[in-house]
Amino acid sequence: MKDPIVEIDNLQKHYGGSKGFFGRVRKPVKAVDGVSFTIHPGEVVGLVGESGSGKSTVGRTLLRLHEPTAGKIRFDGEDITHATPQRMRALRRDMQIIFQDPYSSLNPRTRVIDIVGEALDLLGPLPKAERSERVVQLLEQVGLTGDHLRRFPHEFSGGQRQRLCIARALAVRPRFVVADEPVAALDVSIQAQIMNLLVDLQREIGIAMLFISHDLGLVEFIADRVMVMYLGRVVEMAPARELYANPRHPYTRALLSTAPTVDPRAARARKRELLQGEPPSPANPPSGCTFRTRCPFAVDACAVERPAYRQVGAGHFHACIRDDVAGGQVVPQVA
Amino acid sequence: MLRHFTLIFAVAFLLLIGGMAVLAPLLPLHDPVQMDVMSRLGKPSLTYLLGNDEYGRDIFSRIIYGAQASLAVSLSAAVLAAIGGVALGLLGGYFQGWIENITMRPLDVILSFPPMLLALLAVTLLGPGTGTLTVILAILFIPAYARVTYGEVLSVRNLEYVEAARALGHRSGRILLRTVLPNVAGPILVQFSLVVASCIVLESGLSFLGLGVVPPDSSWGLMIRGARPYMHMEPLGLLWPCLALVFTVFSINRLCDFLRDMFDPKASVAAFTLPGMLAGQRLSRTAHAMSRKAEPDSLLQIRDLTTEISTPRGPIRAIDGVTLQVRRGEAVALVGESGSGKSMTGLSVMKLLPRRIGRIASGEIWYSRGEGENARAIDLAPVPASHFRAYRGRDMGMVFQEPMACLNPVYTIGYQLVEAITVHNNVSKAKAEEMALAELKRVGIPDPERRLREYPHQLSGGMRQRVAIAIALCGQPNLLIADEPTTALDVTVQAQILELLEDIRRTSNIGLIFITHNLGVVAEIADRVVVMYCGQVVEEGSVEEIFYSPRHPYTRGLLASVPKPEDLNSGEKRLASIPGTVPSPLALPPGCRFAPRCSYSTEACSVAVPELEVVTESQAARCIRWKEI
Repeated sequence: MKDPIVEIDNLQKHYGGSKGFFGRVRKPVKAVDGVSFTIHPGEVVGLVGESGSGKSTVGRTLLRLHEPTAGKIRFDGEDITHATPQRMRALRRDMQIIFQDPYSSLNPRTRVIDIVGEALDLLGPLPKAERSERVVQLLEQVGLTGDHLRRFPHEFSGGQRQRLCIARALAVRPRFVVADEPVAALDVSIQAQIMNLLVDLQREIGIAMLFISHDLGLVEFIADRVMVMYLGRVVEMAPARELYANPRHPYTRALLSTAPTVDPRAARARKRELLQGEPPSPANPPSGCTFRTRCPFAVDACAVERPAYRQVGAGHFHACIRDDVAGGQVVPQVA
Repeated sequence: MLRHFTLIFAVAFLLLIGGMAVLAPLLPLHDPVQMDVMSRLGKPSLTYLLGNDEYGRDIFSRIIYGAQASLAVSLSAAVLAAIGGVALGLLGGYFQGWIENITMRPLDVILSFPPMLLALLAVTLLGPGTGTLTVILAILFIPAYARVTYGEVLSVRNLEYVEAARALGHRSGRILLRTVLPNVAGPILVQFSLVVASCIVLESGLSFLGLGVVPPDSSWGLMIRGARPYMHMEPLGLLWPCLALVFTVFSINRLCDFLRDMFDPKASVAAFTLPGMLAGQRLSRTAHAMSRKAEPDSLLQIRDLTTEISTPRGPIRAIDGVTLQVRRGEAVALVGESGSGKSMTGLSVMKLLPRRIGRIASGEIWYSRGEGENARAIDLAPVPASHFRAYRGRDMGMVFQEPMACLNPVYTIGYQLVEAITVHNNVSKAKAEEMALAELKRVGIPDPERRLREYPHQLSGGMRQRVAIAIALCGQPNLLIADEPTTALDVTVQAQILELLEDIRRTSNIGLIFITHNLGVVAEIADRVVVMYCGQVVEEGSVEEIFYSPRHPYTRGLLASVPKPEDLNSGEKRLASIPGTVPSPLALPPGCRFAPRCSYSTEACSVAVPELEVVTESQAARCIRWKEI
């Protein structure tokens, strides 16, 4: 196997937290609390979690758009955790991001030709004619046309705007892209268009991608490998097929059992593993396993220490101390 | 009309005075410093249009040359201050941390002195003169720009397009000038015109005190100073410079109001003359009986409902001839994409359309009250929104996507529930509190006694939605309209809320209209499904009919767009998608509204809007080719 393009080791990102004036200590919010993973060239890794799980923060911190609190980020073998701003600017061409909201991620006062063209300029100055020719090429690659060159972002629909964002990200020929909920703000019929576009482009160019989403169906569709995050930690990681067929962590199981399906009979027939309550605040997470407060299988031992990762199959890891839970039932352990 | 008049006046006045000030040396004016002792304090005449001052100088030409001084000092001070202030604001707002401290904190020092006092101090120390005055004014107004810029930059810097520019690897300087600056320019421009006006006033004030423009040069402030001792003999001499000052400042302020409106995209929208039905129609309706015998089992029957919304680019039909029915205890899902009119249908029924912007143009909303033989149906469409309180809450409740929309952040949950209960029931406060507790238990809130005393922000999103449901239910309505109630919630919490709604519907036998774009949720909860597109119902049927034998190409497309395990097993990794985008409600295609995106469309599809054709007893589709497809 080739060397990984992205390697994250024990990444942490804490927000806030300070020693108050009268010695009152405010606890930081641990948005990302010790996340490690690798992404190989050309691989699509899905990152699933609910709001507040820290999945978006992982994406932004590993691109150093936000500074990590602790941990190591390696890109293409190079440690970029403390890379200088000059070095980062050079590296940014290789790593891009597509945002969730196609409305706020385009400068409203810039024309299409410059939105994409300014990204192209970073590769070096081009003669004017060649520049606009290249912009048209990129637009056509994402399903827009050269007629759109002189328009402003507000003249486009949500789906078209997201295409523009993708064209801008691809303009610098990145080798790795973070797609942060790229279709969550779009209508269902448009979602499918953009998902197909992402799959096509990913195959064509062979870029590696971190696909962040709360939608399990979309992740299953696009990802080779899937990580599930809960309260700043990855609780399970497995090849996509394996995860959906054989989820091991109680949280993953609950997510899968409550995921919407468009089959009414199946939806009503299935046994749902309804979770109690809601995720606790990341400012004050439970001790030990952070999921234990909602977990139907929690035992006293879960509160003691943070569960270590256990390997249960090829590339399949989970962080639950109980491996006697399967199929929603506690099975007696075979000695 | 007056608005336009003042604006035209302002622009004309500024052009006139500005033009004359610039062209003063070329105009046939008297020399502003030449004295004509014979006509000291002279009245206006043909030679001296506005009369003469205490030295016999021509007032008119001194006003013009005074304008030159005033405008030159104010404009250059405003420009200098803008350059300094915007630069500081950009740096402070974008970088934050220690740069923010060294750029923004010193400005607070300037702000903490009254501007006039500071100007007085500086001029006294440095001596009067136009140059000093300009610099002093510029320094005085730097904080004004810096603060405005700083505030705007703070809100813009977190927008994703700035982050995208950083992600691309642009330099900070470039991001500041090319990405941030154009987006904060609007308020800065407005600030500029405000500062010019303030500078003119301050300059005149300082000159009046003898600390500004040095005589014999002209300035409005100097003129007022000169005319003051003689105001009993010749009041006109005082009046002219004052008028010039007042009109100039007024004109500049008026112009900057206009600029602010220009940069504020909240364009004004034409309001409808009458909320609700057109006047004539309403009168004729009230004359006839508005109620009739209810059809058995029916709770709500909407017939041919059309709702208009006024937009900046003209009125649109947000919903266009919608017909649908809800029975007692039935869950009807309204499905559609943004702009399909699904939410507008709910708001129309609840009479919660934006006031004077939205109105029910035609159609009937028959709502059944009472049991069995005595049940009567009432047409709610002509009932004006102001009389609708009798129905809201008691007959029909509504739950929104954002639970905070119906919770007031400054009152406790208990207070709001008790308030809602006492509106609908004539009970004592103690009894109402008891009922509130029972309501909270009913919607599955753990530890309800404690929750009653808490404020909405202390509750999680799911808990808030439960409280919102409790409030909607406390009038014991027969119909609950839920508009995307789970969209803002996480999947695991969404499942809880769906269970709750299902449970409530079963135990209380209420009708539920569930508005959503999420087909998975529909499959979970609905008995019947109504699919909407561009304001029209394109297909309706039982949940099984819609999901297992959809007839309309749009329904099929929607269902196919959702990723399913089968998509993965086929070697080709593709989702079926609907090409194109939803048309603008201002430019709807003729005929079938889905035709431009439909792979089955023929020429016949563009001729006339298809009728909703009956497929089975319970299913109908608005497609002329449903049989073939």
